[in-house]
Amino acid sequence: MKLLAKYWWIILLLFIALYPPTLGGMSPYRAGVLIFVGIYVILAVSLDLLMGYTGQISVGHAAFFAIGAYVSGILTVKCGVSPLLAMLAGMGLSAAVAWAMGRPVLALKEYYLAMATLALNEIIVTLIIGLQWLTGGASGLRDVPSFSIIGFSFDNQIHYYYLVWAIVALVVASSIVVARSSFGRTLIAIHSDETAAKTFGIDCAAYKVRVYVLSAIFASIAGSLFAHHMGFLAPDDFSVFTSINILVMLYLGGIGTIYGPALGAVFLKLLPEVTLQFQDYEMLMNGVILIIILVFVPKGLFGIVTGIKNRFVTRGAG
Amino acid sequence: MGDFSHLVQFLFSGLTSGSVYALMAVSLVIVYKVSLLICFAQGEFFVVGALTMVTLVSKGLPMPVAFALSVLVAMVLGALVERVLIRPIQHTGVGNLIVMTIAISLALRGSALLIWGKESHILAPFSAGKPIAVLGATLQPQVLWIMGITILVLLVIWLFFEKTTLGVAMRACAENQLGASLMGISTQKAAILSWAWGAGIGALAGMTVAPLLFMQYGSGVMPMVKGFVAMSIGGLASIAGAVIAGFLLGIVEAYTIGLISSQFSDTIVFAILIIVLFIRPSGLFATTGRREV
Amino acid sequence: MSQAHGTKNEGRGTRAQPDGTMLKVAEVSKSFEGVQALLDVSFEVRAGHIKALIGPNGAGKTTLLNVINGLLTPDSGQVYLRGQELVGRKTEQIALLGVSRTFQLIRLFTVNNATVLDNVLLGAHKHVRPTIGGALFLRGRMARAEKAVREKAMEALSFVGMEWAADMVPGALSFGNQRLVELARSLMSEPELLLLDEPASGLNDAEVERFMELMVAIRERGITILLVEHNMSLVMRVSDHIVVLDFGKWLAEGDPSAICANPAVIEAYLGAECKLDGGPA
Repeated sequence: MKLLAKYWWIILLLFIALYPPTLGGMSPYRAGVLIFVGIYVILAVSLDLLMGYTGQISVGHAAFFAIGAYVSGILTVKCGVSPLLAMLAGMGLSAAVAWAMGRPVLALKEYYLAMATLALNEIIVTLIIGLQWLTGGASGLRDVPSFSIIGFSFDNQIHYYYLVWAIVALVVASSIVVARSSFGRTLIAIHSDETAAKTFGIDCAAYKVRVYVLSAIFASIAGSLFAHHMGFLAPDDFSVFTSINILVMLYLGGIGTIYGPALGAVFLKLLPEVTLQFQDYEMLMNGVILIIILVFVPKGLFGIVTGIKNRFVTRGAG
Repeated sequence: MGDFSHLVQFLFSGLTSGSVYALMAVSLVIVYKVSLLICFAQGEFFVVGALTMVTLVSKGLPMPVAFALSVLVAMVLGALVERVLIRPIQHTGVGNLIVMTIAISLALRGSALLIWGKESHILAPFSAGKPIAVLGATLQPQVLWIMGITILVLLVIWLFFEKTTLGVAMRACAENQLGASLMGISTQKAAILSWAWGAGIGALAGMTVAPLLFMQYGSGVMPMVKGFVAMSIGGLASIAGAVIAGFLLGIVEAYTIGLISSQFSDTIVFAILIIVLFIRPSGLFATTGRREV
Repeated sequence: MSQAHGTKNEGRGTRAQPDGTMLKVAEVSKSFEGVQALLDVSFEVRAGHIKALIGPNGAGKTTLLNVINGLLTPDSGQVYLRGQELVGRKTEQIALLGVSRTFQLIRLFTVNNATVLDNVLLGAHKHVRPTIGGALFLRGRMARAEKAVREKAMEALSFVGMEWAADMVPGALSFGNQRLVELARSLMSEPELLLLDEPASGLNDAEVERFMELMVAIRERGITILLVEHNMSLVMRVSDHIVVLDFGKWLAEGDPSAICANPAVIEAYLGAECKLDGGPA
């Protein structure tokens, strides 16, 4: 049992790798759904580093999702740039925006910070809508090609599924490594008590910007993957509503645990698949879920899972 | 002469939206003054008030009755939200409270979507009447209603918070709980009252402007955000500041749309918000001079 | 109880007995909301001394610590650490120059189940300075550095007698024990000057004794201490020198026997002449 608890992630990786040919029945539709799930896992995990670990509330994470998506879309559609280079360009622009805006935005506290991140998100979206000649405006950007690396094109949903989930695994692994390192420890100090942190020489502003940039880069990657998956981009997918959805995933899964938000993203993205005819209920459901979590289950789903795991492990050891 | 009439038209439009922003800002300030909270769900009370009135009127109720009932519904809703959802997690920190108000906003908006659907709803103007010509521009009679009701509401609020014992006590709540309770109000009662007030005023804003707009479930988000912009400019805890800033914002926005560009007017408003947030000294969430340690 | 003495001759962490002036406060003034918290306060702290800063409540003692530490900027005046100006620098920079402190209200890190050990490890930030790149790409080097810091942290915890609590969360500890953890944390940066803000408040007699022994041991390591404290017994027995503030103004300065007998101090604060052990005469 203890072995299982320690190496569960190997089993998970095996499951993800073996899903399409077995349970998935090589269905492109199912692969497509899971690609969406993977993209949102990246978004949720990247936000967790910023919100869960560093304690900086962001209601505008979709801004970087948008930058990645549109840079990839525009460069591949209008300039024929290779998707890989376009993705890197998106990461670069997201990092630059986060770096430039980071210090003043993250110097704000609580409500001001939330509003500033919301405003940033809306500025990006309204710019996308307004700069029609560049982005296709409200009608959207069409004909984004499939992702390809040096000639190999990921037209096939199943192939793209493996690419996306390989990237998801990399992002989650990196996030865990960072979170558990001395860097992650420093973030926790900043989250707990900035004044005390400063008295030990921690430059809170600098560390906050660094996390902001990292989370922006990850969100941008998710955006690029999204663009090549959809083939079509509309500004509606990057609004504050999307940012709020990511927030719900964060809390549902268990904020501040990396794995928790990943779980939250999986849950929240698979739920509509199960409740197909209840599309209109999505907004209400998300709100109610978030309320229930905040009041009754603050540690989220992951908190429940760890609780069960701990009970089994101690029982086995005893 | 044609240009001048356009400028006047923009002014009217600015005053109209300015009233909405002023009312929204004031409703946010009231809740903030008492509980040091900013309610992200304020825009939902705006919508719920308006759409409730639409429904009641369509069921045949006379306008004034529908008006009063809708305000009441919003106030009860606001009080319920505070009591059932905000108070239990009050002690768990600001971060959680912010997310809770976001959650409430989601839930209310989602409910509005289910109850009233995605379509836009129209409310008849409060009084029949043709548009009035003023200085070459047209003025809808509803605008007079909006301005009138706004001024009345602001007057009542000002009187309440400045002149009545209860109001002064409520103002004291955020800063001095013991003092406030000595004046006859517990922080809990004050909190519920302030939320009820805030929701009611938000609903009022929605109802008065409904005849001029197409109202749908999501129409409250922008008014709330712009109310927050006005609140930030005017000084978080200042009702007068919120009012002035609200009108200013409405007018600036109207002229921006009219003279510069309508496509990027929202971008500009959000840019203004960010600039305002940067200029305010960071961390100054309460009164000046509050020590950091 | 002998833990504190045991580490005296370690070699590591001790330095040659320091000399000269460690801290100089020069005419520092600060007012808030119309209240003058500090007015032209001046005094010096000799290197290697334990100096106590005493006075009635509201005298501005914590405000002064905040000024030294960089958390507050004074309206006028300057603070010198071994000749270097501190006023105008950010708190982080002042920490890097060798100033460490504890707080009146315990400020241990608690988010995400941070443990006592995590807290103490964070005290060594000055020597660690982690980066994202380091965490991701320099795993080997980081692991070695981490091991070294952990050893040092366990030593610091042993020094205060709290090594048994390393994996517990601060919330599970008693108030007195939390104070000890804070002390261990503040030593990790190997400071030259340690600011202690009412470390004995909320402690029982036995805990106060322990704290006093620790302070003496810290001084023996060559660290200068500036201590804000109300517990006169502790102050009189452990301080080399005392400065008294009243209503934000300098009132008196001297060694414990002089302060005990100083009529102005007695009237403003002590109430009655005291013996050198802090009890009444």
